[in-house]
Amino acid sequence: MQPLELSHYSDPLDLLRRFIKTPMKATYRFDGARLGVETNDCVLLPELPLDADITAPCALEWKLIRDADSPGLLEPPMFLTSATLTVVAMGTACLLALDHETRKLFAFIGTDIDALAFREYLVPFLCRMTKDALSGDPIGYFVSWNYDSAHV
Amino acid sequence: MINIVSLSFTFNSQTLPLRTDFYVAGVQCHLSTNSAEILQSVSRWQTPNVDNSSSFEMEIIVDCRLEAAVERPAYFRGNGHLVFGFLPPGSFISYDLLRKYVRAVLSTKAARDDSFWRSLLIPITIGILGTIVGVVPLHCACLEKNGNGLLISGDSGVGKSTLTAALTQRGFALISDDWTYFSKKQSALVAHGLFSPIKLLPDAVQFFRELGELTPAIFLNGELAYEVDPARFAGSTTKNTSRPSRIFFLERTSHPGCHFVPCPSASIRDFFEKSAERLPDELIDAKALRTSLIGTLSALPSWVLRTGESPQRTSEAIDHFILENKYATA
Repeated sequence: MQPLELSHYSDPLDLLRRFIKTPMKATYRFDGARLGVETNDCVLLPELPLDADITAPCALEWKLIRDADSPGLLEPPMFLTSATLTVVAMGTACLLALDHETRKLFAFIGTDIDALAFREYLVPFLCRMTKDALSGDPIGYFVSWNYDSAHV
Repeated sequence: MINIVSLSFTFNSQTLPLRTDFYVAGVQCHLSTNSAEILQSVSRWQTPNVDNSSSFEMEIIVDCRLEAAVERPAYFRGNGHLVFGFLPPGSFISYDLLRKYVRAVLSTKAARDDSFWRSLLIPITIGILGTIVGVVPLHCACLEKNGNGLLISGDSGVGKSTLTAALTQRGFALISDDWTYFSKKQSALVAHGLFSPIKLLPDAVQFFRELGELTPAIFLNGELAYEVDPARFAGSTTKNTSRPSRIFFLERTSHPGCHFVPCPSASIRDFFEKSAERLPDELIDAKALRTSLIGTLSALPSWVLRTGESPQRTSEAIDHFILENKYATA
């Protein structure tokens, strides 16, 4: 596998970093559905059961972007929920958004979030969002979110 | 056990009972909020300035708990049609470019702060959302004198803002400094400004001694700069819109004098295309609109203005050039 490239991204015409490449891809079986994950950091590939059926469409997709210029540790989450989107800000260390209609979730994750924090905290969080999105109720749970309930 | 206090905001008609419309850069904004103060803040923009059918939704929740939020500089990220970020003081904003929605949670301090609206929230919103609603942001200044609109463009650091400030001192009305927002009305080009002040770097004090009375501040991009209100600085007026009829592409030279060299439209088109923000494939209509608008813009008479003079002397040269070449095309 190629060594991970986590250098600082610099494109004066892409200040929002929309075009950071996420070449690592995997598909998983989650909650009876197919989950696609793509990322630019293999540490961010979750330890979930892999799905060998590469022909089937994904019920939901995660795009997890390791961002070398997003400093800091996770802060208490702030949720913005509407009929079409759930946006969660945990400081600059992790910003994520889930589009309920396109069923795409993307997240910018800072380099201070190590493998342990990702595995123990963010993956359960993302799984819970995914589960609720797949069940057709992506909003209700997070309105009354707390840390313990994130661990499913 | 981790002690975490989270904040949760739900955007719907129950949480956003107050509604009004306002207009910026010729675009109609349908605003929903929970704050009467927000209605007051946007009341200055309630007169439509351009007949434009484009609109977007803005939903704003004001919450005093955000006063305690960690102070951090502006920070934005995006993917596809979604953009979000922190905006000081204590605020967070998300943009949904496909559905034309802006949703924000603001601290009461931000909601009440006139400069937050004027210098941050509105320019950033139109900068991010504009191309989706028919208003294309391009990096240039726009001024007007005697009904003649002109655009000043050029590479970063070439002195566009100091020249803009000098032109306001010669009686040119300011539409915009750093960024101008373009739309088309019946195929004619309209340039919009957003009431933003002129931003001058500290070394501009060598040309404008009056800046010495002001205190520079740190801006979003981390630069230290003076924020200059043209009305106070030069007794100049500001305008919301103009119909630009000329482009001057500024270049610095070590040789004295100001020289106006006709500039081919292909060069203008190339400059604006290459300096425009990259847009994702989801926003293909926005890309097409921008290309079309840049095509119209590049058809304007244009000159490369090579100057080795001060901003004041250069502005004088522009003033004379316009008078002597009132009907000239490049």
